[in-house]
Amino acid sequence: MNIRWYHLALWTAFIVGMFFLPQLVSKGTLRTIIFANYLAIFAISWDVLSGRTGYVSFGHPFLIGLGAYTTAILTKRFDVPVEISIPAAVLVTMVGGSLLFLPALRVRGSYFALVTLAFMELMYQLVQVIRPDLTGGTRGMSGIQTLTRGAVNGYYLSFGLIASLGFGMWLLMKTRLGTALSAIGMNEEAVRGSGLNTTKLKLAAFMLSAFVAGLGGAFYVHYLGSIAPRALFDINFVFTIIVAAILGGASTIIGPIFGAFFLTFLLEYLRPYLPGAERYFIYGGIALVLYMFEPKGLHHVLQMALSAIKGKSRS
Amino acid sequence: MTSLLTVSNLVKKFGGLTATNDVSFTVEKGDSLALIGPNGAGKTTIFSQIMGEVRQTSGTIHLAGRDIGGMSTAARIRHGISRTYQVPRPFSDMTVLENIRVGLMPDNLTQMVFGRVDHDREEALALSVGLAPQDLHRSPSELSMGDLRKLEMARTMATNPNVMLLDEVFAGLTVGEIAQISELIQSMRREGMTFLIVSHDLKALEPLVDRAIAINQGQKIAEGSFSEVMDNEAVVASYLGG
Ligand SMILES: Nc1ncnc2c1ncn2[C@@H]1O[C@H](COP(=O)(O)OP(=O)(O)O)[C@@H](O)[C@H]1O
Ligand SMILES: [Mg+2]
Repeated sequence: MNIRWYHLALWTAFIVGMFFLPQLVSKGTLRTIIFANYLAIFAISWDVLSGRTGYVSFGHPFLIGLGAYTTAILTKRFDVPVEISIPAAVLVTMVGGSLLFLPALRVRGSYFALVTLAFMELMYQLVQVIRPDLTGGTRGMSGIQTLTRGAVNGYYLSFGLIASLGFGMWLLMKTRLGTALSAIGMNEEAVRGSGLNTTKLKLAAFMLSAFVAGLGGAFYVHYLGSIAPRALFDINFVFTIIVAAILGGASTIIGPIFGAFFLTFLLEYLRPYLPGAERYFIYGGIALVLYMFEPKGLHHVLQMALSAIKGKSRS
Repeated sequence: MTSLLTVSNLVKKFGGLTATNDVSFTVEKGDSLALIGPNGAGKTTIFSQIMGEVRQTSGTIHLAGRDIGGMSTAARIRHGISRTYQVPRPFSDMTVLENIRVGLMPDNLTQMVFGRVDHDREEALALSVGLAPQDLHRSPSELSMGDLRKLEMARTMATNPNVMLLDEVFAGLTVGEIAQISELIQSMRREGMTFLIVSHDLKALEPLVDRAIAINQGQKIAEGSFSEVMDNEAVVASYLGG
């Protein structure tokens, strides 16, 4: 493992800063940050799979939706306690992740991305058609049990999740497993040629991604108290997740967290000027420019700035 | 005694094209065999079938008496066979050492996560193929073609093979680099490594092998000592016509 002191210092600063945040900002800002936290979780989930292995998912709401719907239906329709419904939601999402994995055995690149998009569309259709008495059909569900009261508690819950999932995934990706997953993204055949079973590795990536997406989706629905399928299974939501992940810097964990915060606040500040979906074009454009000129993302820009400062102070 | 590598009646068809046409040969332990033939003869395709990256249409492949013809690539590598590629394709966003690390990884998720990285072995492998200490933390894009081939050798050796298949080992190298790679192969031969080598540079290839087989249009057209094969009329004709 290649862990340096400043990595841990950064994590500590992040966690300490986030811990005291509610004392510093308004309730409204706090709600924005809660959204950023969940977006960061979804971006990490996407990044562990797509940022590393190069199997780009356009269907992540399929996984997030499985987690969200499972716990929502179990708690609301069957009075199952959340202690059981949330783990069940994560399990169901991981089963969904193994379904998403099947096409990855045969296709990659844009074909794979399209198949995942089809998964999302299919699920959107299914929740409307199959047992709308359970799923709420086109209108979705409301009155779902919430776990916390008020912005501050909601914030701490989301922060606990992003801190533990983010740090956990970061540690895991620092091991040789993370190296192997990245290697698949660079040259899958050479990974096989190094004696590694890439099917097993890819399955692990899908399972990790589904675990994070399912957990995030389940907690998010218990924060919102409602599900709106049209907003969930929306290509704009997909792009928000992907842009957050690559904007911050794919394959870094800390990058998607940066990206999610940057994007959420950008979106929030643009809201008064551009109330409609045009906002998405704006950040799509920003992401494109950044991606063209600095494909390694904001994270990398900061890193370069840091080493530039270090270089200056040395000379 | 069984041979280390035995290829029998190998056939590979790509649609209407027969890329490998009933090829058989054996490689004994400690032997070094040249596989020669003009461009498009089917040499790389034979390597890919031995490694399981391309599945043969028919025929068998045995490694130390064990039928490996149906195994996954990873399983074949575990049984002690490994190859380099004609065009080195390193993991581009990793350092030289990290590239070798992938070759050294056990095919076991738990060990990958909890096992320790053997930095000493990574470094020893890199240095043993002739990479310089200052190259170890460089990215592959900063390496010369010769160094890329050395890295390819190191990543292949990291899987701990008994037989190595080297595809176009000298392509794109300077005279000095050819000498370095040749010296590396010679020293590995002295330590008992078994080789199957493809190269267009016949002069550089000759001292590295005990025997040769020639392939043309997917078929074996000659076999014997290197000079016998080179003097064979069909071989000469295939190169002229090739
Ligand atoms: N995956 C493939 N699909 C179709 N044809 C192929 C494939 N791989 C190789 N070939 C064909 O098989 C023949 C042998 O190719 P190859 O083994 O690369 O030759 P060599 O390595 O001797 O130059 C060529 O005609 C090549 O076009
Ligand atoms: Mg070839």
